[in-house]
Amino acid sequence: MARKYRNQNQIKENIAGYAFVMPALVTYVLLIAFPFFLTLILSFTEFNFLKVRSLAKLGKYISWIGLDNFRAILRDRRFMQSISNTFVYAFTTVPASIVLGLVIAYLLNGRVFCKKPLRLAFFIPYISSIVALGAVFKFLFREDGLVNRALMGLGWIAEPWKWTVEPSLSKIPIIFLVIWTSLGYVMIIYMAALQNVPRSLYEAATIDGASGFQQFTRITLPMVSPTTFYLVIVRLIAIFKIFGSVNVFTMGSSIASNTSIVQEIYSSAFSDYAHGYASAQSVVLLLIIILFTAINFGGQKKWVHY
Amino acid sequence: MKKREFAITLVKTLIIAVFALAFLLPLIWMVTSSLKNTNEVFAGNWQWLPREWKWGNYAAVWTDPDVSMFKAYLNTAFITVIGTVVQLIISSMAAYAFAKVRFQGKQVVFVLFLATMMMPTEVTIVPRFILFKTVGLYNNLWAIILPHFFNATAIFLLRQFYIGLPDDLMEAAKIDGAGHLRIFGQILLPLTKASLISLMVLSFISCWNEYMAPLIFLIKKPLYTISQVIRWYMLDDLQRYDLNMAAATSAIIPVVILFIFCQRYFVEGIATSGVKG
Repeated sequence: MARKYRNQNQIKENIAGYAFVMPALVTYVLLIAFPFFLTLILSFTEFNFLKVRSLAKLGKYISWIGLDNFRAILRDRRFMQSISNTFVYAFTTVPASIVLGLVIAYLLNGRVFCKKPLRLAFFIPYISSIVALGAVFKFLFREDGLVNRALMGLGWIAEPWKWTVEPSLSKIPIIFLVIWTSLGYVMIIYMAALQNVPRSLYEAATIDGASGFQQFTRITLPMVSPTTFYLVIVRLIAIFKIFGSVNVFTMGSSIASNTSIVQEIYSSAFSDYAHGYASAQSVVLLLIIILFTAINFGGQKKWVHY
Repeated sequence: MKKREFAITLVKTLIIAVFALAFLLPLIWMVTSSLKNTNEVFAGNWQWLPREWKWGNYAAVWTDPDVSMFKAYLNTAFITVIGTVVQLIISSMAAYAFAKVRFQGKQVVFVLFLATMMMPTEVTIVPRFILFKTVGLYNNLWAIILPHFFNATAIFLLRQFYIGLPDDLMEAAKIDGAGHLRIFGQILLPLTKASLISLMVLSFISCWNEYMAPLIFLIKKPLYTISQVIRWYMLDDLQRYDLNMAAATSAIIPVVILFIFCQRYFVEGIATSGVKG
């Protein structure tokens, strides 16, 4: 009797549980899981969806080519360039924004006047539309833009540099744009973490005669290292999928020196309509993200203190 | 001693203020350029303020018969409001089930959801394009709205919050004969208000600034979102820099206003999603 009652109760809980999860589960299956598996499948095909005349004969339009897409990727110099560009963006902007963000958070965390308006100043770029900010940066870095005029005014360069066209320079405006827009996020996360460092640690260190710099390197840095770890992972993923800030600079130009992985996926899929090839490129992106996240988790013992 | 402390605080404030000003300079340039004459924007002198304040630039951007910012605002607001509200409802329901309902298979579903936190949506653009085109959502605002309905991070954060709510609250209601629907809707949901506002602000920002999906799915000009209007001015042959900057300023202002009013929730939202995530 008791057991039957318990079973009935469990059934009721099951119904309630799945009823509550159902909306999330349906959207998950339709918009995340199904597209994900379709990406994997399409990566082994040659396929142009726009050529499909009737869905009933879909099979006729898909040709299975095994690993050919991945072989083509290895020979695709433009895509390989986009991978190396994306790494350049990741390994310049992530350390720079983390270091600068920590310094600003550290300064803002102590006693300063006008804390809130100052915090707002660092935060606006992070919450603003990337196209809007990208448009501003593209203008600032034009040949007759403010950056060139400032550098010439200072006498650092003799004639205007072609920031957006010259291959050796074309990543620089994007790097600055990314640091500018991501610093506010890093700063806010660090400000929250710094608040959790016990004051008693600093007081004890002061009594022992430790300087401000020593306190920063010996107490603050180890205490916020879990946050640093989190930020490295999140910011790396964010840069590996960088699109908006790159697209603003690549629109209307065809140079390969500043393009990114997702920018190339986008143009394979929606300019060349190579939907199989774009899927294979997406799989490569996912593998890169998984690889670097795994490396981070593997290396965390060396420098993260919990 | 006190005087020294004041001096240190002042110096620190000044250092940060210099940084902050450098941060704001591009935005100041954007606002002043939006009020200039087109050929004044890149005129070769150090003039920051416009010679003549051309407020008409904003009127031009907002009432353009071809691509109007007004229409783009309506489209973007529609996407943002529906995307955010439905996301919060769906996430709250799932979070409640994961935290407070003992149903079989809970762990499996939860892990499946969590596994997607690392996968960027950019990876699945091709299938999403195929799916939405097949069901007739190409050139339709719902193609942008639907993907916002599921957000693993929001579910995860709300679940943490529901776990923190004491079970006693539920037990008392259960004895009074309340089912899960009433416990959720009348007792627990109102207690999560602060978290919901934080998540609302985060979702607002991500919907409002969305760039890639509209680029793929919204080709017809009357459907353009704010990002696309800015892009349209960038690609326009007329090269109206002043109008371009007016469009950019128009995109940023509501977000800044929202931030000033919800600063506390905003900072809390990002900080909790960061430190605990």
